[in-house]
Amino acid sequence: MILLLEIKKLKRTGCLPAFLGGAVLAAAFPLLNMLVRSETFTALPGEPFRILTDANWQMMAMLNILTIICGACMIYHTEYANNGAQKMAVLPVRTYQIFWGKFAVTVLALAGMLLFEIAALELCAMHWFPDYHLQLTALAKNLCFSLIAALPTIILMMLIASVCQNMWISLGIGVILVFTVSVFPKENLFLSLCPFNSPYQTLALAAQNGSEWIFTLICAAETIIFGIAAFIFDNVRRYFL
Amino acid sequence: MNFMSLIGVELTKLRRSKIILILLAPVIMMWIPSIVNAEIHFDPQGISITPEYNFFIQGFMGMAWFMIPASLVICTVLLVQTERSHKGLLKMLSLPLGSAKFCLAKFIILLLLAALQMVLSIGTYYLSSAIVSQLWNYNFILEPLYVIPEVLKIYVSAIPLAAVLWMFATLIQAPVFSVGLGLASLVPSVLIINTKFWFLYPMSYPFYLLMIAYGKAAKGIFETEIAWLPWLPTAALITVTALAVSCIRFGASERR
Repeated sequence: MILLLEIKKLKRTGCLPAFLGGAVLAAAFPLLNMLVRSETFTALPGEPFRILTDANWQMMAMLNILTIICGACMIYHTEYANNGAQKMAVLPVRTYQIFWGKFAVTVLALAGMLLFEIAALELCAMHWFPDYHLQLTALAKNLCFSLIAALPTIILMMLIASVCQNMWISLGIGVILVFTVSVFPKENLFLSLCPFNSPYQTLALAAQNGSEWIFTLICAAETIIFGIAAFIFDNVRRYFL
Repeated sequence: MNFMSLIGVELTKLRRSKIILILLAPVIMMWIPSIVNAEIHFDPQGISITPEYNFFIQGFMGMAWFMIPASLVICTVLLVQTERSHKGLLKMLSLPLGSAKFCLAKFIILLLLAALQMVLSIGTYYLSSAIVSQLWNYNFILEPLYVIPEVLKIYVSAIPLAAVLWMFATLIQAPVFSVGLGLASLVPSVLIINTKFWFLYPMSYPFYLLMIAYGKAAKGIFETEIAWLPWLPTAALITVTALAVSCIRFGASERR
């Protein structure tokens, strides 16, 4: 019910086309890379899918994060622009349900994006590496891993967007966080688990370090912690906003 | 009402926007890893560069590549959204003044905010290089006659980019598209800077100038001379076109 309502609210904000646009742009990266300089990649040893993600995933994940930031800011901007949030507060719904509805919409949108992007990577692998065959289980595993790795980023960004009523403040905080993690070193396991940094991780890289289960569990735990924080904030916000 | 007082009015509107905090935060953030991991500047990994130049270039790298364009995007959102709430733009358009003047005044504010961020980044550069010099007993501080012109060059090269982003903000009504387009367009600038057509892409100009500075400080990394000829006319053309389009279309949806 609340989920359908939240999807309906996005109808004329352009959010869903924006998510689609982000997915298309991100999927264009491996395609362009292979069209322009396929020899450099086909000559590399190793598993084709791994070669492609190593070459392209940084840019694709960054586009995903930027799309999440844009989407989260916009989804809450529709509430704050004409005092919609105040009107929702007098309706017989719990306000934290609205948060979960918006979170679920963003997760679904991101799942769609990831599916599109991973399919694009897969198609590139099948087209340029003749002896590569489609493995559906590996594809599903990659999809789930990338989605779980992105969950802390999504929920933290939703929390920021729900706190700040002005869109430029939430956008600014999101962009500053992206910038901050980009200047810190990438190799550190602790830093790579932070929200806004975890989506850059790929399943192959985590499996190589043997940390894929720890990574998944900690990302899930972070999501729960930020979810509890959002719940608490929702109950106390009327005291200071 | 002359142009200067219009700019004064626009500045007054920003009074309680907290934008200075948003401009200041990344400027501080960009130096923290450099201070914490200062010893990496002594190990140039095969590149012939002195530690003090390495410190300066590495610190400004993220700034020129990502944060200057992203800050400009945030500022355009600020400038547009303060007018959207309570129909501010509609009230402005009903005044007996040309809408192009409003548009240019807001663009000047955008440039002023970017200039403020550059001044803040120079200030934090000197602060952090002083801290690192104290910690490591090595002079990391470069003279202002080098630092200020370099940062000024990066700033001036961001003007075409600001004009293009301002055009996006005035042309595209849905904020998600103007913001998304701005943010998405800065991701591939690292790739485009290595192609022949970098001068057509305003998002890569600040990064190009920083790479020229890198090339001068460390031989063989990048070109050392700025390729003025195709660049300068193209950049001027892009700026003028973008400003003209945004002046013509400013407030178009409100005027319907």
